[in-house]
Amino acid sequence: MEYILKGLTEAFSLLLSMDKEVYGIIFLSLYVSISATVLSTLIAVPSGILLGTIDFKGKKLVVRILYTFMSMPPVIAGLIIFLLLSRRGPLGFLGILFTPTAMIIAQTCLVTPIITGIVYNGTKEKGKLIGSLAKTLGANKLQALLMLICELRVNLLTGVITGLGRAISEVGAVMIVGGNIKGHTRVMTTTIAMLQGMGEYSTAIAIGLVLLLLAFTINSIIYHFQQVE
Amino acid sequence: MSIKFNDITKYYSNYKALDISECTIRAGAITGIIGPNGAGKSTLARILAGLDKADTGSIQYEGLLQAGDYNKKITMVFQKPYLLKTTVYKNIAYPLKIRGYDKKDIDSRVNNIINDMELQNIKYQKAWKLSGGEAQKAALARALIFNPSIVVLDEPTANIDPSSIAVMERMIRKAKEQLRSTIIIVTHNMHQAKRLCDDLIFMDKGKIVEKGESLQLIYDPRYETTKRFINGEL
Ligand SMILES: Nc1ncnc2c1ncn2[C@@H]1O[C@H](COP(=O)(O)OP(=O)(O)OP(=O)(O)O)[C@@H](O)[C@H]1O
Ligand SMILES: [Mg+2]
Repeated sequence: MEYILKGLTEAFSLLLSMDKEVYGIIFLSLYVSISATVLSTLIAVPSGILLGTIDFKGKKLVVRILYTFMSMPPVIAGLIIFLLLSRRGPLGFLGILFTPTAMIIAQTCLVTPIITGIVYNGTKEKGKLIGSLAKTLGANKLQALLMLICELRVNLLTGVITGLGRAISEVGAVMIVGGNIKGHTRVMTTTIAMLQGMGEYSTAIAIGLVLLLLAFTINSIIYHFQQVE
Repeated sequence: MSIKFNDITKYYSNYKALDISECTIRAGAITGIIGPNGAGKSTLARILAGLDKADTGSIQYEGLLQAGDYNKKITMVFQKPYLLKTTVYKNIAYPLKIRGYDKKDIDSRVNNIINDMELQNIKYQKAWKLSGGEAQKAALARALIFNPSIVVLDEPTANIDPSSIAVMERMIRKAKEQLRSTIIIVTHNMHQAKRLCDDLIFMDKGKIVEKGESLQLIYDPRYETTKRFINGEL
């Protein structure tokens, strides 16, 4: 019991003293995960809307594959990117394994299906109706698309925020392709995993608190917007 | 001037929802479509409004629509209306906005119809906070605001209280008389059909059983099925 209390007190003093290493780790986490989420959003929002509005042969299979990728374990995403980027892999010449860039790529692979799936579901539910409505009011194709995006705004936001939450909290992918190198690729989750193994609880607790706070903020944002409408 | 359609069929997978050999709807009149649940009224309404394609057949909007303004001159209010997630005011203003009207013009037109339809109290209400009836009124206002040549209404006054029904019927009549719109209205309300419609089409099992002037069709129908439907026996 005592070591937990001691860890908590030390954790707060670390956070309040603006410890350089701790904040470096927090900053890198945010940088990697936000970049990955932005990239994913750029790919996933158009894909999700497209998949939800057009019909084509084999669509059911595509959707089932998408749902599978939505629940892909982070270590698998990490492993795939590791194999591609490792020195003998097809993209090994880039020399970016064990860099933040590799971590961003891995998290993008992890998050893109999640956002795509959420946007697809929203579009599937409302796309036809809004398409019809746009026609009855005399909107052209572009205006209809804008109407759809506007009506799906809560859904899009939920997708993006869920993706960010997933990225910031995963360990597996960043551990494998980043390697948890101190001062270079060490992020919040990999730090906790490592420190816990070493029995150094105070920094782990400090970072854990920050992660919890982030999760709380992220969920509050989603909750707020879902309540409003 | 009229809407003429021939040999219209519509299938939902293997189910034949619509099978109409020939029909003409008078321009500038209010035509009611009546018939039991599942008769194909909404299916026909969506096809006439250009939202769905029939599997066979053709529709001619003689003298009513130019080739280019198909979308811009025809409108439909759905059985379950969908309002954009914003205020009543902005919903009603939307068709004018995308047609490039200037702000002042939009404001005066929208305010006019809001007064006409007695929507002042909910002018700035968000769409998702409206009651079902209020939403239906707002949807009708939004459809009529841009003076469409053809207005298709799918049960616009289901779930509406009597005084609001009177307001909505007045607006529909006004669209016919002042704007010379051609109006097609699906209704389950025989009193409304009598009050509002010039012509009536009776549908059953995907077919048009009978079409005629409303009073004649209601009081002196040609077919037994029509009579039974009107007497509430179908
Ligand atoms: N999207 C659809 N997919 C499959 N079947 C459909 C679809 N839409 C309508 N149907 C079927 O087509 C038939 C006609 O439906 P429609 O909605 O046109 O009836 P309606 O006359 O408007 O009925 P109501 O008075 O209940 O509104 C019904 O049997 C219905 O089950
Ligand atoms: Mg119907």
